[in-house]
Amino acid sequence: MARKLRIWVDHNVCVGNAMCETFAPHVFQLNANRQSEAVKPEGDPEEKILEAAENCPVSAIFVEDAETGERLFP
Amino acid sequence: MAMVTVHDDMFTDDVIADPYTYYGRLREEDPVHWNDKYALWVITRHADVVWMTRHHELFSNVVFRNDPRPAYPAIPASDEPLYDYVRQYQADQFIQFDRPEHLEMRKVVHSYFTPRAMEAWRGFVKNAITELLDAAEDQGHMDAMKDFATPLPVLVIAQMMGVPKEERPYVRHLAEKLLYIARGEPDRMQPLVEGMQGMIEYVAPLVNERIEKPGDDFISVLAQGEKKGVFTRHQVLVNTSLLLLAGHETTLNLLCNGTLAFMRHPEQWALFKTDPEGLAKRATEECLRYDAPVKSIQRLAAQDVDMRGKTLRKDDRIRWFITSANRDPEVFAHPDTFDITRDPNPHVGFGNGVHHCLGATLARLEGQEAFKALAQRFPNLHLETETFEYQPSIALRSLKSLPVAFN
Repeated sequence: MARKLRIWVDHNVCVGNAMCETFAPHVFQLNANRQSEAVKPEGDPEEKILEAAENCPVSAIFVEDAETGERLFP
Repeated sequence: MAMVTVHDDMFTDDVIADPYTYYGRLREEDPVHWNDKYALWVITRHADVVWMTRHHELFSNVVFRNDPRPAYPAIPASDEPLYDYVRQYQADQFIQFDRPEHLEMRKVVHSYFTPRAMEAWRGFVKNAITELLDAAEDQGHMDAMKDFATPLPVLVIAQMMGVPKEERPYVRHLAEKLLYIARGEPDRMQPLVEGMQGMIEYVAPLVNERIEKPGDDFISVLAQGEKKGVFTRHQVLVNTSLLLLAGHETTLNLLCNGTLAFMRHPEQWALFKTDPEGLAKRATEECLRYDAPVKSIQRLAAQDVDMRGKTLRKDDRIRWFITSANRDPEVFAHPDTFDITRDPNPHVGFGNGVHHCLGATLARLEGQEAFKALAQRFPNLHLETETFEYQPSIALRSLKSLPVAFN
């Protein structure tokens, strides 16, 4: 079974580029301010989530292993 | 309606020399302003710029294809065919599309520019800076624009395109013609078209080659987009030179405007020199905010939109001003103060939303390394003149020259 992830988006940094939605559409959604939120951490495979984080142009996405706290991105 | 005391000529010497006073007054008095002279809306508040750029469905980027109005400032009637060429050329840039096409096109090039991918370029950028400053050092002074800020981004872009070293001077020669894109001179179309045609001719055989044998360069990335059916051949050619059109003058303005800001604020320069490595990131962000490389960007209203009690009609032209948004007192404490430790610094120098500048990470990296190198190598850097002229553009904040000395 896939490990549980803790994912968050720094709203001081997020510019609403929305590429994360393209890479992991079930995890990331834009809120009313058009900034990204991780609404469903288990919505897409880990590989897609890390790809979304990697492709954030302002490095606003953080990913950790929810159980161990290990930082997976950045 | 509120009394607006601001005139509508955005190209007067005063406004070009000091856009902050003019657009600052608009931001206070009439933040969603109809400019009658140029028939466009002028948007000046930070909150409005962020809102607009994040609502791409309301504000179209398909400007060159859909805006039939003539070039401004005006050009001679005999240059109209040249302007038609420029419009058709510009219209094929991926940034001149809306979703869904824009997303498919951006996906082709987006991953090339991720923060991690760009970090791998830091060494190349540092070496290029060292070479340029080595050449200048012996002279004791330089035009920081001509000798440093202009060639640096071209060297980087030429390397990204996979241009052989001996052909770089030719690309640089074309790049200098492409700089006319944002100028206001009436006779700007001829050199601009020469630059555009020259780029197409230069790049065409490289594209042929890399369709056959792809490498890890940017032209190969675009060529893959053609293979996938996302780009036409013309779009591959045009988007290759978009690297130069979008990445050249913007970056050189960051380097020049930032250097000038440092020189005019000796206490900030002194502070920076105490820890260039540690302060470079925040200092570069402040340069991007305080005297941003890009002043304004255009959109067309995709539908009727209400903003602050005004109705922008479908197809109306709109310009949103980074220049005034970055000095908005609603967002920035002491907005007219150059403070290289400012944090957070939510400037809109690279825009926002789905069209947020693709090259932002590269521009930041070049700024950080350039300012660091200047501080470390030339601690006595100082201006050789006190009078500065700017290009007559409402799109870009471009000095004409920046003479500095080192000793």
